Amino acid sequence: MQLGFLVDLHLCMGCKGCEIACKVENEVPLSTWRLRVKYVDVGTFPETKRTFTPLRCNHCENAPCERICPVSALHYIENGIVNIDKERCIGCAGCVMACPYGAIYIDPETQTADKCTYCAHRIASSMMPACVVACPVGANIFGDLEDPTSNISKYIQRHTDVQVRKPEKGTNPHHFYVGASQVHLNPLASKREEGYDLFNKLTHLPLGGHH
Amino acid sequence: MVQETLAATHAVVTLDVALPDIFWGWFVTMNMWAKSIGTGLVFMLFLLLRKNSDEMSGVRTSAITVSFIMMNVFLLFTLADLHQPFRMWHIFFYPHWTSAITVGAWMATVFVALESIMMVMMIRKEKCLLTSNANASFDKLLFWVTLLAIPVTLYTAGIMAEATARELWQMPTESVQMILAATLSGSAAILLLGGSKLSDETKNFFASILGLSALLAFIIYMSEYIFGAMKSEETAAILAYIKGDGAYATMFWIGEWVAYILPMILIALYRVSRSNSILTLAAILAIAGLWIVKHVWLVIPQLLSLS
Repeated sequence: MQLGFLVDLHLCMGCKGCEIACKVENEVPLSTWRLRVKYVDVGTFPETKRTFTPLRCNHCENAPCERICPVSALHYIENGIVNIDKERCIGCAGCVMACPYGAIYIDPETQTADKCTYCAHRIASSMMPACVVACPVGANIFGDLEDPTSNISKYIQRHTDVQVRKPEKGTNPHHFYVGASQVHLNPLASKREEGYDLFNKLTHLPLGGHH
Repeated sequence: MVQETLAATHAVVTLDVALPDIFWGWFVTMNMWAKSIGTGLVFMLFLLLRKNSDEMSGVRTSAITVSFIMMNVFLLFTLADLHQPFRMWHIFFYPHWTSAITVGAWMATVFVALESIMMVMMIRKEKCLLTSNANASFDKLLFWVTLLAIPVTLYTAGIMAEATARELWQMPTESVQMILAATLSGSAAILLLGGSKLSDETKNFFASILGLSALLAFIIYMSEYIFGAMKSEETAAILAYIKGDGAYATMFWIGEWVAYILPMILIALYRVSRSNSILTLAAILAIAGLWIVKHVWLVIPQLLSLS
């Protein structure tokens, strides 16, 4: 079994229900996110539109975070999930530096690395990840990539525009997008400018970093 | 180039979490800088042993002491940079051997242990508790410590290479830069420590190493600066931080001048004038500038958003 995720961006409406469900399920501390929805505005007024992209750990088959972790705190489990043992993590931030997707953060409460685990604890109890359950439009499709009859496999078979983020990194992500453009997936395809954030003055809990 | 589409799309990120950007800051810079001096001094001691062993007596104790101190500074900052420093022992009890961090931690520990033995040898010799065999034993051990100093110097490049998210750091260039940083700072440090105890010929030898290391390191940085952007869009975006009015442009050029350009000029002047003051200034500038250069190269890839 190799579990994977697919997000149909044609369906996503940026409600952030998945983000909140993840926060609640995994008790993710303030100012940190295991899953987040990025908004990018495209075009000039009045011809504008807003794109939504849920971003989470890609559970790569060739995960740089697993490779660089000096104590195997980040490790594979049999179903392909890249899991994390927070009790073992030494907080070196090697994984934060290695992940090409910016999906790993240092938990300000435990001072250890943390990330999306595809709700491994729920899957162990035969439940779907919290974000899948919360999505009002079924944009999150989750299942076994090795089972050709699973929803995710059928979705991949039916659609010709299945993409992953940063394929050039050779990480073989188990997280796919349908209906994505460069603006959705490539950070270099959009600008980050002061004053354009919908939420201003975001504050962060102290991490103990050394800038 | 996807960035060319920006003019058409006017795509602007209007909501995304601002993940804290610089995770490896000046503590890691201190780590790399101190390790360069620590292993660099060992390389220079070994070269001195092979070239002119008679002059070893003047620098044996001082060089190994400074190297030992710098290696401990390196270990201290490595430990302090961890968010869970009291779990450092996990590296030894739950080692993950694909990680350059693990391999490096083990090798650096063995390296410092061997240096500790060399320190004890020198201390006991000073107290006349051992015969002159201490020097011979020291020199024999120096060979193995020098061999170990090579991977200890290089492993940080391995960590940077394993940081898949940071396109700028490539193993071939980073490994050469790590060795050059060690030969640059090591030769500078031994010139400062040796002072009048070193002959003119030996000073000239170490001055040449300092100058050549500066030249080669400068060439590599300039190669990356000019040509790096031609192969990868991500590298181009990172290098933009040190070009034009980029956030780290001034710091980058201060580093290049202080670590490489000025020492090269001063070494050339020394070879004409044989002024020890000029040589001392070149050595101090190289060591100070190396910190700045390392810091800039460490930080700029972390400024680029990954999402």
